Amino acid sequence: MSDISLLPHGPLLERLLAGEFICAVSDESAFKRLQDDDTREAIDSYLRPLNRRVASSQEEGVYFLAWRQLDDTARDQLARQLGDTVHSLLPLLEWLQLVQEALGRDSVLSPGDVLKPGELQAKSEDNPSLRERIERLATDSFFGSQSDQLDAQVKQVFKRLREHGYLLQPHADRQVFLVTGKVDYLLELVRFIRDEEHLPVDDEGEDTQEALL
Amino acid sequence: MNEAETPGLESRLITTGVERLALLGRHAESLMQGYANDQVPLEGLSHTALRKLLSARIVWRPDEQGGLKLTPKVRELIAEMVSDEARRHVNADVAEALELIRSLIQSYRDSSSRGDYWQQEQQLLRLRQAVDDMNGRFADAIDSLWQRLNSDFGFVSQLNDKVRENDRAQKQVVRLLDGLALIDFDELIELVGSDGTLRKVLISQLQQQLSQHYTSLREVQHRLIELMARFRRMQARSRLVSGMAAFLREHPGFTPGNYARRSEVPALFNHAAPLTAAGAVALDRAQDMPTLSALLENVPTPLRAAQSITAARPAEHVEDTLIAARQQALKDDVETFYLNVVDRAEQTPISALDYLNQSELQWPPEIWLFQVIAEHQGLPHSEQRAFHLHQQEERASAYNDVKLIRDVSLGLAV
Repeated sequence: MSDISLLPHGPLLERLLAGEFICAVSDESAFKRLQDDDTREAIDSYLRPLNRRVASSQEEGVYFLAWRQLDDTARDQLARQLGDTVHSLLPLLEWLQLVQEALGRDSVLSPGDVLKPGELQAKSEDNPSLRERIERLATDSFFGSQSDQLDAQVKQVFKRLREHGYLLQPHADRQVFLVTGKVDYLLELVRFIRDEEHLPVDDEGEDTQEALL
Repeated sequence: MNEAETPGLESRLITTGVERLALLGRHAESLMQGYANDQVPLEGLSHTALRKLLSARIVWRPDEQGGLKLTPKVRELIAEMVSDEARRHVNADVAEALELIRSLIQSYRDSSSRGDYWQQEQQLLRLRQAVDDMNGRFADAIDSLWQRLNSDFGFVSQLNDKVRENDRAQKQVVRLLDGLALIDFDELIELVGSDGTLRKVLISQLQQQLSQHYTSLREVQHRLIELMARFRRMQARSRLVSGMAAFLREHPGFTPGNYARRSEVPALFNHAAPLTAAGAVALDRAQDMPTLSALLENVPTPLRAAQSITAARPAEHVEDTLIAARQQALKDDVETFYLNVVDRAEQTPISALDYLNQSELQWPPEIWLFQVIAEHQGLPHSEQRAFHLHQQEERASAYNDVKLIRDVSLGLAV
């Protein structure tokens, strides 16, 4: 048992229990506290009766709660969750690709990157191919847009990404979003699935872009 | 060195040099266009000006028909002056510089032993310049490398180009380090001998400068490798995203193994279900009362209109019970009919309709018959066999074979 008082960590505990991912972008001070071994240990022992513990992604970019004991209920829940994750992979990866290409960035979005829906919309307005891709993506069941208007589609996509914790909107009245550490977590999942299933997806070696063209 | 000692050759060189350097300024715009584009535009250049530029080897013609181009040295000079990292040239050829220095030392010592002091001064001057040149090459190269590093190779836009540029820069660092390694101070010390002036130029100064360059180069190399690792990670992410997206598009039915059922669930997938820490109003603590009553007062009044209880409709319920009661009465009357059959002395069957008429019951005949048949079918099998139910049937019409039940008669089975 640790002597650390959990009193100041109330809000953090609540966010963790609610299933949130804590990263340096979503809550810098909480993230720093979670990096401390003693604090994590104290939270772990507090969570023991709830069968939960603090876990992190491989690169420790995000913290979240994991089951301590994997009983049948936990496994059922994880199996359902895995299904949801697999279902959401393609739309999320396509979105990452789309943003990278539309905004002319030379890399995939990383935690801390700033995104403005208006910018994406402006880039797509005069570009029928981008527009079509946004439309296809937005109407995917993961994003679930019912609209045929570009601005509403973009808005819906950002809204869903915020709900799923991939984006953070620091000011509710300003259309500026920050990419959270959950994007890195997603890529770790992708890499894990690729390795585990031996999928023919390469992320090293020489350029594959020419081959794709 | 003062001008009086400069012989005619030197002064002619200086005059020509000044004239030709001035050419650069006079035609700066045209030359910069030649730098930015492929060719130096001929418009605005007089025949004389062109001739002068050519003889100063500022521009040249690769072939007779071809256009006018900047000479490599001028292009390099401009790149150096404007820190154009895409074109800046790193010259790491130390071997040649060393060769020059060696021969100059030899000449210097020859002049010294001959007692030709003027010549000796000239050799020393050239030696100083050669050492400065070599030193300057390292300094320029290192400056260029830092510039590229600090801008994250911003002069190229694509990540792949950045990776290539970084790779090129790392090779330059290696060549520069190799060049530094060629400078053998033991050899220089031997060459210099006991000459104090040479010792100062070639040993103490140079050694200090080169050791600074060495440290800088090591630092640059370290940073380049770090940056390269970052570029590679970025590249890997991009490839992972596009590769996996392509795979999933090609295999829409792809399902990974059920990691949740493994004995060791992968840590990444173990994300516990969310829990909400809910709270409700509690009245068991006196000190909370003021807060709670304040909250209660602030609860907004609901806007919907009050519903009068008398407006509720018990009618439907009454209807239900009424039907059930009538159903029960019918069932009771049919049971009485059955008991009647059992209690009678005669064995002859009784017509159900006759019974209905005689007993003055108010049931419609059709309903009555239906219930009598239903009652018989509802009896346990053993009791059913105790009764004999006969249905009087008739065809619906001459052309319709549907049998209509006109009456049933019930008797005890013998």
